[in-house]
Amino acid sequence: MTATAEFQSATPVARPTRDDEAGSPRTKGMSRAGWLFLAPFGIFYVLFLIWPVIYMVITSFFNTTMIKNGFGGFAGFANYQEMLTKPEFWSAMWHTIQFTIYTTPPLVILAFVFAVLANRAQHGQWFFRLAFFVPFILPSAAIALIWTFIFTPGTGLWNSFQSLLGDDAPLPVLGTPSIAMVGIAITTVWWTIGFNFVLYLAGLQDIPRELYEAAAVDGASPWQQIRSITIPLLNRTTTLVILLQIVASMKIFDQVYLMTAGGPGISTQVLLGLVTTTAFTDYRVGAASAASVLLFIVILLITLVRQLIVRAQERREATR
Amino acid sequence: MTERTAETPTTEQGADSRPPRRARNGVSAAAPARHVPENGARASGRSFTIVAWTVLIIFAVLWLIPSLWAIKTSLTDNGVSAVGAGAILKDWNLTFASYYTLLSAGNIWNWYLASFVTASLTTIFAVLFSAMAAYALSRLRFRGRNVIFLLFIGGILVPPQVLIVPIFQMLNIGGLLNTYWAVILPQIPTVISVFVFKQFFDGIPRDFEESARIDGAGYWRSFRSIIMPLSRPVMAAMAIVTFVGTWNNLILPLFVLSNPKLMTIPVGLATVQGSYGQRLSDIQASSILGALPLVILFLIFQRRIVEGFAGSGLKG
Amino acid sequence: MVSRDRGSGPFSAPARLSRRGLIRGGLGLAAGIGLAGGLSGCGSALSAGIARTQLAPGTVTYWNLFGGGDGVRMVDMQHAYEKSPGASPLQAATFSWGNPYYTKVSLATVGGAPPDVSIAHLTRMKNLATAGLLTEITDDMLNLVGLSQQDFNQTAWDEAKVDGKTYAIPLDTHPFVMFYNKDVCQKAGLLDGSGNLKPIHGKDGWESALKAAKKVTGAYGASVCSVGDTSTPWRWFQTLYSQREGNTPWLGDGGRKLTYNKDLTLDTLAWIQSLTKSGLMPPTTDYAGAQTLMFTGKSAFYLEGEWEISTAEAVPGFKFGMVPVPTIYDKPAAQADSHMFVLPRMDRSADQLKRTMGFVKFLLSQSMTWAKGGHVPAYLPIKDSEEYKKLLPQADYASAANYAVYDAPAWYSGSGSNFENIVGAQIGLVLQGIASPEAALASARQQLEIYARTESPL
Repeated sequence: MTATAEFQSATPVARPTRDDEAGSPRTKGMSRAGWLFLAPFGIFYVLFLIWPVIYMVITSFFNTTMIKNGFGGFAGFANYQEMLTKPEFWSAMWHTIQFTIYTTPPLVILAFVFAVLANRAQHGQWFFRLAFFVPFILPSAAIALIWTFIFTPGTGLWNSFQSLLGDDAPLPVLGTPSIAMVGIAITTVWWTIGFNFVLYLAGLQDIPRELYEAAAVDGASPWQQIRSITIPLLNRTTTLVILLQIVASMKIFDQVYLMTAGGPGISTQVLLGLVTTTAFTDYRVGAASAASVLLFIVILLITLVRQLIVRAQERREATR
Repeated sequence: MTERTAETPTTEQGADSRPPRRARNGVSAAAPARHVPENGARASGRSFTIVAWTVLIIFAVLWLIPSLWAIKTSLTDNGVSAVGAGAILKDWNLTFASYYTLLSAGNIWNWYLASFVTASLTTIFAVLFSAMAAYALSRLRFRGRNVIFLLFIGGILVPPQVLIVPIFQMLNIGGLLNTYWAVILPQIPTVISVFVFKQFFDGIPRDFEESARIDGAGYWRSFRSIIMPLSRPVMAAMAIVTFVGTWNNLILPLFVLSNPKLMTIPVGLATVQGSYGQRLSDIQASSILGALPLVILFLIFQRRIVEGFAGSGLKG
Repeated sequence: MVSRDRGSGPFSAPARLSRRGLIRGGLGLAAGIGLAGGLSGCGSALSAGIARTQLAPGTVTYWNLFGGGDGVRMVDMQHAYEKSPGASPLQAATFSWGNPYYTKVSLATVGGAPPDVSIAHLTRMKNLATAGLLTEITDDMLNLVGLSQQDFNQTAWDEAKVDGKTYAIPLDTHPFVMFYNKDVCQKAGLLDGSGNLKPIHGKDGWESALKAAKKVTGAYGASVCSVGDTSTPWRWFQTLYSQREGNTPWLGDGGRKLTYNKDLTLDTLAWIQSLTKSGLMPPTTDYAGAQTLMFTGKSAFYLEGEWEISTAEAVPGFKFGMVPVPTIYDKPAAQADSHMFVLPRMDRSADQLKRTMGFVKFLLSQSMTWAKGGHVPAYLPIKDSEEYKKLLPQADYASAANYAVYDAPAWYSGSGSNFENIVGAQIGLVLQGIASPEAALASARQQLEIYARTESPL
């Protein structure tokens, strides 16, 4: 701790300037070194991120298939037209949004509540961290097996729970089109709340104690303290959590594939599920690429909105 | 642990030093007040704490139930499990039969191997290459650096799952399908690591490197002997995050690995019905076995893991 | 922005675990596992995963999609193979039924590492063949192990041909059949002297049988699944539709045209809706519910594929029989599919081919075991044997395999396919009384047309 203080006070950190003078031997050597350092990462980046994006966009205009080489016949906007007019595409879009709506509020609010409460209870923190965070590091396949078992129609633990609540003929959660997504949402909340929980804990620990003490001196009850100190100061974290959650929800694949395979029928199929089915089961890479591009655009829009919000918040805070 | 407690603001302590209500008007916040607080104020703080603990414990127990249920079922006989939840609750003849079946007969060892090899190699390459790239962005000036920087930022926006189809096609062309490399290579470019490292490197003062430079050390020496050692905590954190992320990745190995002997744990659990069928205890045991390595990892590296995820989350 | 990973003392005492230590430990563990793996056979997986060495030289790799009762039976057959003289080591894997399985097989073949032999439904196998993913099966290959075309059910064999070539060897045919609760039927006077079901003919015969049964059960006469599963409603409809004179296949020209007979379709849909509306059959019941109705005596008849025989046999004290679905219209017909052995496309050595064919031959010889699971063997030496003829109730419905009606070929058709999902869902709505036949047909048509005009990827 002291070492840091020494360094940081003694020497002002020199930020690298943006100008570069090509030509002088020193910068030439630095230039080459720069590219060499960058190269390993860069190669993989180009191969597995940049090129796939380009490939995806290109093939979306062709009838590319998995089983024949080459791009296939030119299709123009046909793939896009097909996707945008196909009921399955819009239902997949709706299910993705539905999943987002079902999971984001609990994952944000519950995580906040748990973090605030856990923050209060200093001594048992390891226990709560264990309980809430461990599910998050488990593979989706493991938690899907656990929860599919809990949701077993007729004899699963969830059924016992429903009977306890007085429901004598409970519907099978994952087998009923109208509530299958709820089952997936419940599983997801259990699985991923740990991440938001630690984000909130981290944010809470950055709130200076003095603020609470000052409020306490003014006679504020704990509830009031939370309302007037904690929540506003965690605004940035909350925004972050919400937006991270939304983007993550748009990319959902694992739980749906594992627990319902998009079923019953297609009542839980989500966009990424549709993309992979079209590409790998129907062999239609071109059409799947079109759907991927559309999904990518939606995610891009959401992320850009997030950037704008964060930027606006930063500006607001700077002027405070 | 002590570090964290010291930083945690709690109104618990605030309650103790809160001045009694009736003296409110005259007492300033600055005065260190260690009066014995009046019952009202203290009770309000205390009751909140009690409520907090109760609610938390209830939810924490709720959260533990699914895992405990899976464990309990995995230790129950297959026949009893098939009957239903009630039967499982009532039966307390614990048996390791399911685990024995899986560990002696199944492919699970191959899956552990695949997961371990792919996660380890990916982590090593990803951390090393990201650190190198971050070093370039942080320390070195070269033409086109801004472009690269922007390109990387753009990369954060692209969700890798969306690219599964073109990545599959490319791996196919490269003849890499059904090898571990099909899982390792696409997961190496982790852009978030680059930014985490870069921010960290930016914060390291340049004194050491400058004096090393004067002594004739090249950039690689600087990187290897100065920057890397100082970055151990960050590297450990990112290594863990990458390791866990790779281990748990389902969508990529699901489609690029077809042979059951080469599958990683998530894929194995997800696709192979095999000898499980209606043997519910065996299925639950397989999920426990699949989760076990990571739980052990968590128990050892708790702090690092949580820090790693929190840190990278805030970056992402 | 709050940054957590900067502050906690990076320049202070070295972290408890350095990255190098982590790597060293990790590699050590990996080496350890590699060693242990090598001792237990993981070594081949490791070298295959890293260096693309052949994973299982000298073995037979076999993939199937049989779970549940079928799975148990297939495992028994595999064990029998492994114990047989001259058997090669067997690497068998079972995947989830339906699209996930076919996707796996396709991707493995495309990726150059498919199994030696795998199971495929006849209707799906045709698409695999058209896609160029299968090896043709020639007479020479059959002769390698002493088989010939004539050893097999000709209906299935001919149906499976693609462009006049054979790409699969049939294992069985599994038709849509009718189960009947013997106690209920006895009380309803529907059984003959020897305790078997009296033949039922025509719509009138069906309705009167159901009415008689309903008097006994107090609930329904017959039950078929209408919710939660799209395949069964399709099978029920398709069986009846195919019995009608003048019926045309649903899809033509490889799926590019919708060629169903509109009048017959609407008429058939209207009739099955009238059955559920009048209470003779339940409007809303799922897969398990439909059979439970029969098991508990609330329905006399149950319509489903023959594979449910294992479930019925497992109900203690339940006496039942099985017959082909009665000829309610003009001619006998039953919706069906067949399980086939296919050889995914790969470069095979002569030895490999011999091993694979030997495995197939052996499993075919085990068809009796398979038949006990309800399937009608396609291998004639077993199907025509005395032993099978004595197997009851299998022998009672074996004739259905001869007039099996397979789903029309199209890239989006077949067992568990988009076609079945779309049409089956609509038929389910008709059964439930939620949609009129016209509306259901229009909706199905609209959805199918998108597929019909989409260029086939094959």
